[in-house]
Amino acid sequence: MGNKNKMGLLAKQKAAGWLFLLLASAMIVVMSFYPMVRALITSFKTGSSANLQWADPLIYNYKRMFQDKMFMRSVGNTFLYLIIQVPIMLILAILLAQLLNNKDLKFKGLFRTCIFLPCAVSLVSYALIFRTIFATQGLINIILMKIGIISEGINWLGTTSTARIVIIIALIWRWTGYNMVFYLAGLQNIEYSVYEAAKIDGANGWKTFWYVTVPLLRPVIIMTFIMSINGTLQLFDESVNLTNGGPANTTITMSHYIYNNSFGQGVANFGYASAMSFFVFILVAILAAINLKVGDTRD
Amino acid sequence: MKRKALSIFLASAMSLSLLAGCGGAADTAATTTDAGQADAPAATEAAAPTADVASEGEHELSVYAWDKNFNIPALEAAEKAYQTVDPEFKLNIVEQSASSDVENAITLAASSGDYSQLPDIVLFQDHYIQNYVTNYPDAWMDLEDAGIDWSDFGAEKLSYSTVGGKHYGAPVDNGTSVFAYRTDVLEECGYTIDDVTGITWDEWLEIGRVVKEKTGKYLVSMDHNGDDLPYMMMQAEGQSQWKDGEPNFVNNDTLKQILEVIITGAKDGVIYLCNDWSEYTDTSIIGDQVAGVFNGNWIIPTMEQVSENSGKWAITTAPTLSGKEGYAANGGSSLYVTGNCSKPELAKAFLAYTFGGGEGAMATYDDALRNGGVITCCISASKSSVYQEGVDFFNGQSIYSDIVAMGANVPVVEQNDYHYTARTQIQAAITNVINGSDLETELKNAEDQVRFEMGL
Repeated sequence: MGNKNKMGLLAKQKAAGWLFLLLASAMIVVMSFYPMVRALITSFKTGSSANLQWADPLIYNYKRMFQDKMFMRSVGNTFLYLIIQVPIMLILAILLAQLLNNKDLKFKGLFRTCIFLPCAVSLVSYALIFRTIFATQGLINIILMKIGIISEGINWLGTTSTARIVIIIALIWRWTGYNMVFYLAGLQNIEYSVYEAAKIDGANGWKTFWYVTVPLLRPVIIMTFIMSINGTLQLFDESVNLTNGGPANTTITMSHYIYNNSFGQGVANFGYASAMSFFVFILVAILAAINLKVGDTRD
Repeated sequence: MKRKALSIFLASAMSLSLLAGCGGAADTAATTTDAGQADAPAATEAAAPTADVASEGEHELSVYAWDKNFNIPALEAAEKAYQTVDPEFKLNIVEQSASSDVENAITLAASSGDYSQLPDIVLFQDHYIQNYVTNYPDAWMDLEDAGIDWSDFGAEKLSYSTVGGKHYGAPVDNGTSVFAYRTDVLEECGYTIDDVTGITWDEWLEIGRVVKEKTGKYLVSMDHNGDDLPYMMMQAEGQSQWKDGEPNFVNNDTLKQILEVIITGAKDGVIYLCNDWSEYTDTSIIGDQVAGVFNGNWIIPTMEQVSENSGKWAITTAPTLSGKEGYAANGGSSLYVTGNCSKPELAKAFLAYTFGGGEGAMATYDDALRNGGVITCCISASKSSVYQEGVDFFNGQSIYSDIVAMGANVPVVEQNDYHYTARTQIQAAITNVINGSDLETELKNAEDQVRFEMGL
C-alpha cells in the first residue's frame, strides 16, 4: 500500500535505460537523420546554392547523372577498385591473421602492431607519401633504375593503368591490417578444441583452414566485406590526394566527383551532388543486402 | 526473416549516415565519410580563422588573404599607405591557408544565407570571380561609385572582375605571363634570347629538340593537373576557347594547332608535363630540369629559389603560331567588398586610395613589390623608380617595368564561368592524345562534356 507510487527495481532500471537511449537517439536524429532528409530534399532541387529551386521534373538530377559521362566513369573506376582491391585485401588479411594467431610464434605483439600501424597513419599524409614515392623522380623509379629493371623512370601517376595500380596498392597497404584485426579477434573466439578435433579426424592444415576456420569466421568475414564495400564505394582521399582524379579523370571516384560538384571546382551544385550521394547510398544498400543474403545460412 | 530485414535496414542506415556528409546539404559538408576517413579539404575550413565584422571599430576593416609571402605584404603596405589620410585606420588581415578557403567561405555563407561570418573585403582569384558573382549576387558590392579611374588599369585584368558591365574588384597583382629562358643553356646550344623572341611555335619546338639533345633539359614544364598552357597560348594568339558563351573546341583551328604543339612537344621531350603542382615547382623548376619557364609572373619567386642560377635567366614574350610576339596572362587576384561589409564607404575609399590607383597607390605598390614581389597592373603606379630597378637574378634586366609593359599588350579574350571545367577537359584530351587517341575525337568528347556540365 505504502509503496504504490514507487517504481519497482525493474521498472527503474528500464526507465534509466530508456533515458540513456533517448539522449543517444536524439543526437543521432539531429546529427544524422535530419541532414539526410535535408539532403534528400536538396537532391530534388537545382540552381545556385544561394537560391535553390525545385527541379523540373523533380527527378531531373537523378536523370542527369545517367547521362553524365564523367559520373559514369567515376562509377566504373570505383567498381574497378572494389572488384580488384577488396578480395585481395581480405584474403591477405585472413592469411595474415591466421599466421599471427599461431600459438608458437615469437614477437606476436610486435608483428601485429607492425601490420596494424598503417591504419594509424592519416589518410591524407599516407596518400601524399605514396604520391612522392611513385613520382617520376620518386623512390620506386630510382630503385628500379638502380637494379636495372627499367632504363627510364616510369610515369606511374601519369598513365591510367599504373595510376590505378598505385591506388590499389596504397589501399591494400592502408586497410589490410585494419581488417586483420577483426579476423584476429574472430580467430581467438574459436575454441582450440575444435582444431584438436579436426586434427584427430585427420584434417591437414589447408583442410582445417577451409572447413573449420572459414565457416566459423563467417560472421566476421561478412562484416568486413560490408565495411570494405562501403568504404571503397566512398573512396575519396586517395583519389583526391594521390592522383587528383588524373590522368584524364581515369582514376576519379564517385565521392571525389561528388565533392568536385559541391566544393572542388568553384561551382557549388549541391542539388546534383546530393542526388549522386543518394545513388551511392542505394548502391551500398543493395550490395550490403546481397551480402547478407549470401552469407546467411539459416534458411 | 525479421532480423534480416532489420539488419539490412541498419546497414543501409549506417551507410546513409556516413554518406550524408559527402554530398549533402551545406551544413553537413564537413562530416566524415568512412571509418575514420576524413581530412577532406572541406574539413579544414572549420578551423580557418574568421573575421568578426560586427565588433570592429569605426576605422577598422577586415580582409581575407592567403599568402604571407605575397599578397599579405601587399595588404600591409596598403594599410600603411591609408594611415596617412586616416591615422586611426586599422586593417585586420585574416590569413587563410589557401585561396580555396576564401571560395568555400563564400559558398557556405551564400548557401546558408548567413553572411555574418564574412569579412569586409576578400581577396579572390580572377578566374573564379565571374562564377561567384553570377551565382551569389548578394555576396558582393560593386565598386562603381568608388571613384576609381579604371582607365589606369590593363583592360585584360579588368575583364575578369567586371560582371554584367559593373566593376566589382580592385586589382592587386598582375597576372601577366612571362617566358623566362636560361641564357647560359641557350648559349651552350648556340642560341641567344633574341633567337627565342618573336618566333613561331614550330621554330621553338626545333630549338627545344636541340636543347634537349645537348643538355637534357626541357624547354618548358607545366603542371598538367592544372594545365594552363593551352589557355595562355590561346590568349597569346588573341583567341578564346569560348564563343558567345559556349565552348568552341571542335571547330577551333587555332586551338587544334596549339594542342598539336603541346602534344608534339611532350612526345619529343621538349615540354615536361608534370603530374602535380609539387612536381612542377620542386622537381622541374627547383630541380633544375628546365631551360625555360612559361607562366604568370608569380612563378618568379619559385625560380629565384635556385640561387646558383642567379644572373642566368632572362625574360621575354611567348612564341605564337604566326611568329609575332605573344602576350598572355595567367592567375592573379583582386580585392572585393563583400555583402557583409558594414562600412562600404570606408572600404571603397580605402581600395580607391591604395590599390585603385589613388594618391596612395605608388606607396602601396612600391612596398608590395619590395616586400612581396607583387607586380602592379596599375599603369600610373608602375612609373615609380622602384619599378625601373634592375634585378640581379635576371642579370640586371628591369623585369618589373618590362612585365607591366607586356601586361598592357595582353589581348582581351572571351572569359567564361566554366574556365576550370574547360581546363580539366582540355588537359584530359591532351593526355588521351599523347596516349594514342585521336585529337578530333578527344576534342569532341571534351566539348560534349563541357556542354553537359554547363547544361547546354
